[in-house]
Amino acid sequence: MIRKPILTSKEDQNFQEALKLYDQKQYKKSLKLVDQNLKKHSHAESLTLKGCINYQLGNKSECESYILKGIEKDKDNYMVNHLAGIYYRSIENYTESAKWLKAAVDNGSPNKQILRDLSILQSQIRDFKNLTTSRQQYLDFQPGYRANWTGAAIAFHLNKNYNSAYSTLTKIETIIKDHLQESDMYEQSECCLYKNDILFDAGNISKALEDLEKDQSYIKDKLAYLSYKAKYLMILGNSKEASVIYRKLIQRNPDDIDNYKNLEICLGTSDWEVEKRAKLYEKLARFYPKADVPKFLPLVFIPSTNKLFKSKVSEYILSQLKRGVPATFVNIKPVLKNAKKLKIVEEIVEEFYGSIGQYDPTVKLWTMYFISQLNYFKAKSDSKFLEESMKWIDLAIEHSPTLVELYLFKSRILKTQGKVVEASEFIDQGRQMDLQDRFVNSKTVKYYLRANNIDKAMELISLFTKLDKDAINGCKDLHTMQVNWFLTESAEAYSRLYHQYQEELNSLPEDTDEEIVNDLKEKVDINKGLAIKRFLAVVKIFGIFVNDQFDFHSYCLRRGTPRHYVQTIKWEDEVHSTPIFVRVIKGLSKICFEIYDEQKVKKEEEPIKIKKNNKKQKKAKAQFLKQKEDLIKKVESEKDDSDPLGTKVLNDLVNNSNGDIIDNLLNLTSTLINEAKDYKITWELSFKLNLIKCKYILCLQALKNLKDKIDEDELKQLIQTLSDQVSADETTNNAIKMVVEKGLASAFPDL
Amino acid sequence: MGIKIRQADIHDIQAIQNANLHNLPENYLLKYYMYHELSWPQASFVATTYDESSLDEEINEDLKFEDPKGDTAYIRKGEKIVGYVLAKMEDDPEAEDKTPHGHITSLSVMRTYRRMGLADRLMKQALYALCESFDAKYVSLHVRKSNRAALHLYKDTLKFEVSSIEKSYYQDGEDAYAMRKDLVLEELQPHLIDGDQEVDDFEKDLLEDL
Repeated sequence: MIRKPILTSKEDQNFQEALKLYDQKQYKKSLKLVDQNLKKHSHAESLTLKGCINYQLGNKSECESYILKGIEKDKDNYMVNHLAGIYYRSIENYTESAKWLKAAVDNGSPNKQILRDLSILQSQIRDFKNLTTSRQQYLDFQPGYRANWTGAAIAFHLNKNYNSAYSTLTKIETIIKDHLQESDMYEQSECCLYKNDILFDAGNISKALEDLEKDQSYIKDKLAYLSYKAKYLMILGNSKEASVIYRKLIQRNPDDIDNYKNLEICLGTSDWEVEKRAKLYEKLARFYPKADVPKFLPLVFIPSTNKLFKSKVSEYILSQLKRGVPATFVNIKPVLKNAKKLKIVEEIVEEFYGSIGQYDPTVKLWTMYFISQLNYFKAKSDSKFLEESMKWIDLAIEHSPTLVELYLFKSRILKTQGKVVEASEFIDQGRQMDLQDRFVNSKTVKYYLRANNIDKAMELISLFTKLDKDAINGCKDLHTMQVNWFLTESAEAYSRLYHQYQEELNSLPEDTDEEIVNDLKEKVDINKGLAIKRFLAVVKIFGIFVNDQFDFHSYCLRRGTPRHYVQTIKWEDEVHSTPIFVRVIKGLSKICFEIYDEQKVKKEEEPIKIKKNNKKQKKAKAQFLKQKEDLIKKVESEKDDSDPLGTKVLNDLVNNSNGDIIDNLLNLTSTLINEAKDYKITWELSFKLNLIKCKYILCLQALKNLKDKIDEDELKQLIQTLSDQVSADETTNNAIKMVVEKGLASAFPDL
Repeated sequence: MGIKIRQADIHDIQAIQNANLHNLPENYLLKYYMYHELSWPQASFVATTYDESSLDEEINEDLKFEDPKGDTAYIRKGEKIVGYVLAKMEDDPEAEDKTPHGHITSLSVMRTYRRMGLADRLMKQALYALCESFDAKYVSLHVRKSNRAALHLYKDTLKFEVSSIEKSYYQDGEDAYAMRKDLVLEELQPHLIDGDQEVDDFEKDLLEDL
């Protein structure tokens, strides 16, 4: 039922005027009119609008209450609905926003643009079911734009309704066919390929191939065309024809190994003799003499026992060493996982080194570098080779004392030897030889962080960051520019420092001067706070990554890139499985568990009485405050940072101010459980947290996921822990206990 | 060498951002990389490591399960991004020249993987794609006046020409060379640029004379 808002004429006028002013961003004037209305009556639209105005005026504590009052007064009023939707969108509560925009549509709002906004929100919250409706409605409203057809098709596709997706795309193609301009052709090409993706996802490969050929003249992306075609032919069993396409793909890009692998599958090389396979690559190498793959790949599949291996690997390595290629070792490294091959390579290079005198001095240099790297590689299984590696890099440095690469590598050896401070100082010498190169700077920064020298690291990285006004270093810029590697490494450095000070604190004798104790306690807290703060900075950046997709829900339809848009949606759905994010959660949860353990101890202790400061302490305090101020300038992560040292965030966790610390941690871990299922750490965390929470069924689920990720003894222990706690627990009801016990028995019958 | 060159996709952008932050002073937010990927998805390329030891039958790796390295360069196990070229079409509505043309936003290779010709290969693929998928008639880029290695690559290897000098183009005040190169699709095919003498004849059976 469509129902107009009921208003007296004066209020109506005022409200309409206020709305107009709001749209023109004249918020104060708008507020005046709204307040006039509200003086006399509690008027639903005006209440809701007031909430929105307050938001725009920065009066953030008095927004939602007005929105809620408006809704309470008249929840079926489309104007109220629409304004509520707008409000929730601005505070990024997309679920609520979508709900109210949908209500506005359902309550008969004549404003069809709401459908566009609504569909963006539904895409963001992955409400694909309702998305199909709003996209279809908007298409019905404005069928004159191809973007709206593409949008509807995407909604159907994401909702796995392949038939409707396909027919929507086909329909607009037919309509538009004779009206295409030159500037439409990229979009046309992408939409044809998108149609093909849908057929593929629907499992209709032969139709996909048929369409692909029919649309060939439209397809500008020939790489996609060839890749699709080859894939289809292979699936359809026409490997002969597919092999020709892969040859074309190799010709386009002889540096993509996947094309060669696929070619081999088509040719059925798996039962060939090694020699024949090697011949194939010799032939390909003649076609693509500059490409690496045809030379490299045989080194992987030819067994070490075959004499071909030695001659080929020798040719591969020595030709590079003779040309003085610094990356020779990096190039051959993947082959060396095979210990027998490693031995052969070692012999070849040793022999070559014996005759090194006849070559240019740089050949000698890079060969020494190679031998050092080779020994470093061997040290992975036996650390005694580190010394050998060091010997050779020292020889190389003696030979060419100004080569940055050698400094990079020597400091890596030092780092592996555990000499982190020496490593950082040594790499810094290398950095000073090439101050313009950011890579060497970045590595030096990383090494200083590993040595817990955060100040020096910050000083150096700031040589390459933007300096904000009044900033003394690049710390804020590093946050703005999403430098996750640095934030994570510094969080870990702070964490190490906090543990170091904590240990010092714990080992102080009983009668230590109070000042010393307090000083150490402060150091513990500051480093702990900063560690948490830096970890959370990365978490926040991932929040930005999730929000970043927002604009693309509409942009890609206009731009005509539906294929890559759909990929992006899927990527965003698992963005928290990015290795660095998992590492951050791991670091953060370690600290949180430590706080939790302290909480447990504290509960049993008497609350500590705070002693009044005496004069001496006051003086020390003043000095300390000055130091603290200087520190704050260095570590602020944003302008006017309200919690520069992470003191508040730490105290909140310690005192459970924002809810129980374990609940908070569970909340953070939930992104891993949804998106990073393949990680061991995900389920280890889930197990530990849910055990504390006595959520045994979730513990069981975690164990099932850990089954193929940890070794049997570890698993056994966890099973035992769970079953012990379950049987000792008197508060959990028996039905749940039974489920867990039975679940354990059936999931792990042998353990 | 265990490095492959392939088209960049959305899964790569965090690691591309990471490589850019490690190598160059001009940095961008992730959303700008998304913008590239979702506007000109064919144009950008990456160089990544790969691990093909599974093809070596002599290796019986102890398959102990390990989580991927928590390193920003890695996009998945065994695959890290060591170089990239980020390319786009000129889309500034204010731009004087309306001829469709491409622009190289950023190109870099991790130092430990330099002098292997990766930048060259990345660029060749990107130029070909700009021309083929977007009809770019030419491509432009900026390079620091002091960056001799890059200048050599563009000028000598890739045959770009300096079109002008832009004073204080970079934030730190350094001048840039504005460079450009005309694009002709037939001339951009990688195997033709490389001057390979023998060409695979697709009419012929590849296995004929093995």
